[in-house]
Amino acid sequence: MSFLQVLQDFFEDLRREGVPVTPSQAADCCRALLLVDWTMEDYFYTSLYTTLVKEYGHQAAFKSVYRRHFQPGSRGEMSRQERPGAPDRVRRPIENTSTYAGDALPVHGMQSLRGGLSQGRRNPLDQPFSLASLDDVRKMETLFPVIAKRLAARMIKKNRKNDRCAIDYRSTMRQSMSTGGVLLNVVTFQKKKEKPVIVALCDISGSVMTFSCFALALLASMQRFFRQLRTFAFIEEVDEITHLLRAGDPLTLRTSVLKNARRVMGARGYTNYGATFKGFIERYGNILSHKTSVLIFGDARNNWFNDETWALEEIKKKAKKVYWFNPEPEISWSSGDSRMLEYIRHCHKYFSCPSLSELERAIGQL
Amino acid sequence: MFVPGLGRGYLIIREREVIRESKLSLEKQTWGVNVVRECVEQIKDGMLGAGYICDDRTATILYLAEALQKPLLVEGPAGVGKTGIAQAFSRMKAVPLVRLQCYEGLDESKALYEWNYKRQLLHIQAVANRQADTHQVEQEIFSEQYLLRRPLLQAISSPTPTVLLIDEIDKVDFEFEAMLLELLSEFQMTIPEMGTIKASNIPYVFLTSNATRELSEALKRRCLYLYLDYPGIALEEQILRLKVPGISELLAEKVAAVAHRIRQVELKKPPSIAESIDWASALLQLGLDDLDADTTLETLNVFIKHREDMEKLERTIRSRQDLSFQTPPVTGYR
Repeated sequence: MSFLQVLQDFFEDLRREGVPVTPSQAADCCRALLLVDWTMEDYFYTSLYTTLVKEYGHQAAFKSVYRRHFQPGSRGEMSRQERPGAPDRVRRPIENTSTYAGDALPVHGMQSLRGGLSQGRRNPLDQPFSLASLDDVRKMETLFPVIAKRLAARMIKKNRKNDRCAIDYRSTMRQSMSTGGVLLNVVTFQKKKEKPVIVALCDISGSVMTFSCFALALLASMQRFFRQLRTFAFIEEVDEITHLLRAGDPLTLRTSVLKNARRVMGARGYTNYGATFKGFIERYGNILSHKTSVLIFGDARNNWFNDETWALEEIKKKAKKVYWFNPEPEISWSSGDSRMLEYIRHCHKYFSCPSLSELERAIGQL
Repeated sequence: MFVPGLGRGYLIIREREVIRESKLSLEKQTWGVNVVRECVEQIKDGMLGAGYICDDRTATILYLAEALQKPLLVEGPAGVGKTGIAQAFSRMKAVPLVRLQCYEGLDESKALYEWNYKRQLLHIQAVANRQADTHQVEQEIFSEQYLLRRPLLQAISSPTPTVLLIDEIDKVDFEFEAMLLELLSEFQMTIPEMGTIKASNIPYVFLTSNATRELSEALKRRCLYLYLDYPGIALEEQILRLKVPGISELLAEKVAAVAHRIRQVELKKPPSIAESIDWASALLQLGLDDLDADTTLETLNVFIKHREDMEKLERTIRSRQDLSFQTPPVTGYR
């Protein structure tokens, strides 16, 4: 097995782990290796790193693949620094090819293949909420600020997009008089911005636990950008939690909401969408107006309670737009006690967002 | 896995080709160990002379960016010296730095070039009375002297090499980013009225990003990548001693250690290097030579900018009197 074959296997493995390696990146990588003395491991690592990894989120995957391929014996992360300039592992594929091909590679190859099949995409952002272990949630949490920031940037951009307006001929002509009739400055109308009024309804029951953590955290970070964003949480009953939301750790956020808004639990503590919508329209119906957008976060699993679709219809009539974000994939919407198919008739738009990246995309579309 | 544009089978074949092309030279490679190491050391020393301490990896990446003539995309938290690296590089190379500060709504006319249409109008007015040849007038008003050079065009058309810093690239619109592609890969730029301008000297390009949005694959592909993280204690101590002249060894060591520890507490905005430099200078101004819990509490507001963070830290420091004002157990970093 030649060194280049080893490199190519490495690229393949990276792709399997969700780090996109394009052919031009592969070529760059080779060119970079030509420029340095690649038998020194530090140079070797740096050249691979700088040409193949282009995003912070990919660093961990890159490191693990690198370790698997070029540092077969090592365990800890520090081993690279403990053996400064010990290139024997890197050289091994060439000098001692039979051993490498004979024992190390098939095992590692199999491992990565199995890992690739069972866990699919490793990127925590694409990890489905429903399958996420606590470990995955932690990974998502570390990447969450990036998403919040990105969304915020997009929201600001959206708000500013329509700054450019039609030409104000009258003022333009008037201004040109001072320059002897030459149109030096073009004056445009200023558009009055409509401030969005947002009402969010978030299911915080156990069935959508991970999803609701991140939904709450997103809402908390959005509160900085929208003056008029009111958030309500519900399980069996609905209650306002706007004042409880602080930007922060998604997991603790949900716990603190649950602790401080005991009312949402209701009498039995089972999710009841019907009662929620009914309660909302009765108690908070007056805050809806033609300017209000209503965002609903939940899986529409109603525990066989009454649907009360009329209440949602009422909300739709009063509000400008109703959006529904469901953490389940669309196929399961018709299964079990999910009433999603009933409810979407009364929504303007609905999104299925089983993972964090899809949630980001959905909210970004608004 | 999605790779834009190509089918997977083709991809692998193409990649084999690419790799085979470089195969010969790779295996015959005759670089002495010392040549590269010398280059990297040179860069390290040069950057140090320019007031920037970089570790081995950063220096290697700088070397590669220079050798491959590729733009370098620098990412990392705020205040770790992303912009500084470009500035230091230009000082090291002793070439002018052309800086394009990106912001929301930046467009071609502010980044590339613009026709000075006020002058053009005046020119037209002036010749209008003389019944001039329209063709000639057109040529006149679209000539170089009516062209306003904005940073990108400046960097490209400069007769001497330059360092081009495109700061906070993540702030611009997607469309603008697409426009940059021609510039970053071919180092040329097309002005419809004048034709293509090709760089006579390829500039050293640095792009910085705070990752407020994802950059396009196309852009990332064209760049080398460097992630700057908070430095380890030893590196930060060096930086402090370089940036705060007159600081005692003990103080630098302690400030670095405490800053390192504070970054491990979960804060809204962890203190950056810029802030720990501020803090060290503030301590120096106060005539302090040593650091303990009380002085830290008193000067906390120099480097913590959020009230909640401040309260949290105060609690931490009071509860654990030992916020390692002694030399801390060194945990792994970098």
